[in-house]
Amino acid sequence: MTLVAAILLGSERISIFEMTEQGRAILFHIRLPRILLGACVGGSLAVAGASLQALLRNPLAEPYLLGVSNGAALGTLVAFVFLDGYGFARPLLAFAGAGIATFAVYQMAKSRMGMNVERLVLSGVIVTTFLSSIIVLLTSLLDAARLRGYTFWLLGDLSQATYDGFYMTLAAATVGTIVLSSQARALNLMMVGERDAFDFGVEVGRVRMIVFGMASLLVGTAVAASGSVGYVGLIVPHLVRLAIGSDNRLVVPMSAIAGAIFVVLADTVARTAIAPRELPVGAITALIGAPLFIYLLRRANY
Amino acid sequence: MEKNWNSFKRSLLGCVLLLTSLFIGCETNRPMPDGPVSGAFTDDLGREVRIPVPLNRIISLAPSITEMVFAAGAGDRLVGVTSYCNFPAEAKKIQKVGDTQTPNIESIVALKPQLVLVSTASQLEAFASMLERQQIAVFVLDVKKLDDVPDRMRRLGDIFLTKEPAYVAAAEFERRVRAIETAKRPSERPKVFLQISNEPLFTVGSDSFMTELIERAGGTSLTKDISGGYPKISKETALAMDPDVIILSDSEDNKEPNVVLNNSKAVKNGRIIRVNADILSRPGPRLADAVEQIAGSLNK
Repeated sequence: MTLVAAILLGSERISIFEMTEQGRAILFHIRLPRILLGACVGGSLAVAGASLQALLRNPLAEPYLLGVSNGAALGTLVAFVFLDGYGFARPLLAFAGAGIATFAVYQMAKSRMGMNVERLVLSGVIVTTFLSSIIVLLTSLLDAARLRGYTFWLLGDLSQATYDGFYMTLAAATVGTIVLSSQARALNLMMVGERDAFDFGVEVGRVRMIVFGMASLLVGTAVAASGSVGYVGLIVPHLVRLAIGSDNRLVVPMSAIAGAIFVVLADTVARTAIAPRELPVGAITALIGAPLFIYLLRRANY
Repeated sequence: MEKNWNSFKRSLLGCVLLLTSLFIGCETNRPMPDGPVSGAFTDDLGREVRIPVPLNRIISLAPSITEMVFAAGAGDRLVGVTSYCNFPAEAKKIQKVGDTQTPNIESIVALKPQLVLVSTASQLEAFASMLERQQIAVFVLDVKKLDDVPDRMRRLGDIFLTKEPAYVAAAEFERRVRAIETAKRPSERPKVFLQISNEPLFTVGSDSFMTELIERAGGTSLTKDISGGYPKISKETALAMDPDVIILSDSEDNKEPNVVLNNSKAVKNGRIIRVNADILSRPGPRLADAVEQIAGSLNK
C-alpha cells in the first residue's frame, strides 16, 4: 500500500528534471530508491509512533522523543565504527540499540502510581540526552574525516538511499505493520486501561512485549537506513486520528500509508527547496513536528 | 513555589552582579603588551595587532598557516601547531596544541607564545580576547582567493622580519601559477566536477578557493554557481552535469567518484584526477602544486 502511494507521488515530480538522456538513470537509480526508502522509513516510524501512543496511552509518545531513535543511532554508530558498517551489522545493532532505549525509558517512566505523561517525556529526554552525549563522545574520539558522513546522516538524510537499504527497510516495515495491526484490537482495549483490557482477556504483558519489540524493529531499520528522521511518529498518527478517529485497527495501517506520504513529501521539499543543494529531511520534519508537539502539549488535557 | 522563585531570582541577580564586576575588573585592568613592538599590522578582520620584537615564539592554529610560516622562513620559531599540521616534515615535531576548531587554550598559554596565528575557521571571538588578556597577540589570516596566498606570505615576512625568504617564496608561487595560466591550452575548457566527499556527496561552490583554482588551471567548474563554499549537492544534479573530468580530494573516504557519476564522460574516459586532500584543501603555498597537478591532467 505504501509502495503504491510512494510511486504515485514520485511520478508527479519527474518533470522537475528535464534531462531526457539521463532521465532514466536519475529516475531509477537515484530518485526511485530514495522515494521508496523514504516511504518505508516514514511508514515504519509512523506505525511505531501510533502503536507506542496506544500502548502507553499517551499521544506524545514518539520514537524520536522517547530516545528510541537515538538508541538506534548509537547502535548504527557502533556498527559503523567497530564493524565497518556493512551488511546486516547496521540494522541489527540499530534494532538492539532501539530495544534497549525503549526498555530503559519504559522502566524509568513506570512508577508505583502508574505512568504519567511528565514521567514518560522526562525519561525520554534523559535517555535522549544521555545517548546523544555518548554519540558526541564517540564521534569526537574518532577521525573527523571518516565521520563527516555520519554526522550528516545523524540529522536524518535519505540521499544515501540504495535498493539494498530499501529492501531491508521494506521487509521490516511490512512485518512490523502486519504484526502491530494484528494487535490493534488489544491496543484498543488497552487504551481504556490495562486493568480493563486484562479483564477482557488481553494478555497485557505479551502485547506490551510485541509492541516494544516491533517498534524497536521498525525504528531500528528506519534509522539504520536514513538516520534520525524526527517527529514522524508524532505528527502522522495524530493527523490520522483527526481524520478517521482513534480505532487502532484503522489508525495503525493508515499511519503506515500516511507516514510514507509525509516523509516522501518532506524529502521532496528537502531536495528541491534549495536545489541543487540539499537539506537533511530530518530538518524539514522537525520544523513541522516541533510546533505541533508544543500545540499538543498546550492542549493540556493529556 | 513563589518563595522558590524569589530566591531563584535573587541568586540570579547575584550571579549577574558578580559576573559584571569581574568583567569590568578585567576590562579596566586589561594589560597592554609591553616591551619593544615591531609595529602594528592590520589582520584580516581589520584589527590592529601590535607585534613584539624580537618575535621568537609563534603558535599556528591551522595547517595552511603552518605551511605559510615555514614558506615565509620562520618555521623554526613555531612552538606550537595543530594536530593536523604534518607539512613540512619538521612541523610534525612541534608540540601539538589541539586542532583548529578546538585548540587547547591551556597548552597554548603554557607555551608562552608572543603571537598566535589563527584562521577564520577557529572560533575567534572568545578565544582572541582570552589570549589577548594574557598579553598574547592574536593575528587572524583569512585566505579566500589564490592571490591571497602570496599576499599573506609577504605580510608574514613583514611581521617576522624575514622579508627576503618570504618575498622570494611569494614571487615563486605567483610565477608558477602564472606559468600555468599562460601555457598553451585546448580552446575548449573541460567541465570539471570536484568531489570533496563521496557519501554524502559534497562539492565546491562559488565561495571556495578551489573553484577559482579549477578555473585558473584551465577548467571550468560545473558547480561554480552554487552558493556557499562546500555544498552538499543533489545526486540527480551531479549525474546530469556529466563532467568531462572529476577531481577527487584524495583522502581515506574519498578514493572513487560517487556511483552516480559512473556513466559520466569523466569515468568512461578515465579522466579522474586525484589530488592529495592536504594539498588541495589547505589555502597555503602548496596550492601551486595543486594548480600544476590539475593543469597537467586537464590539458593533456
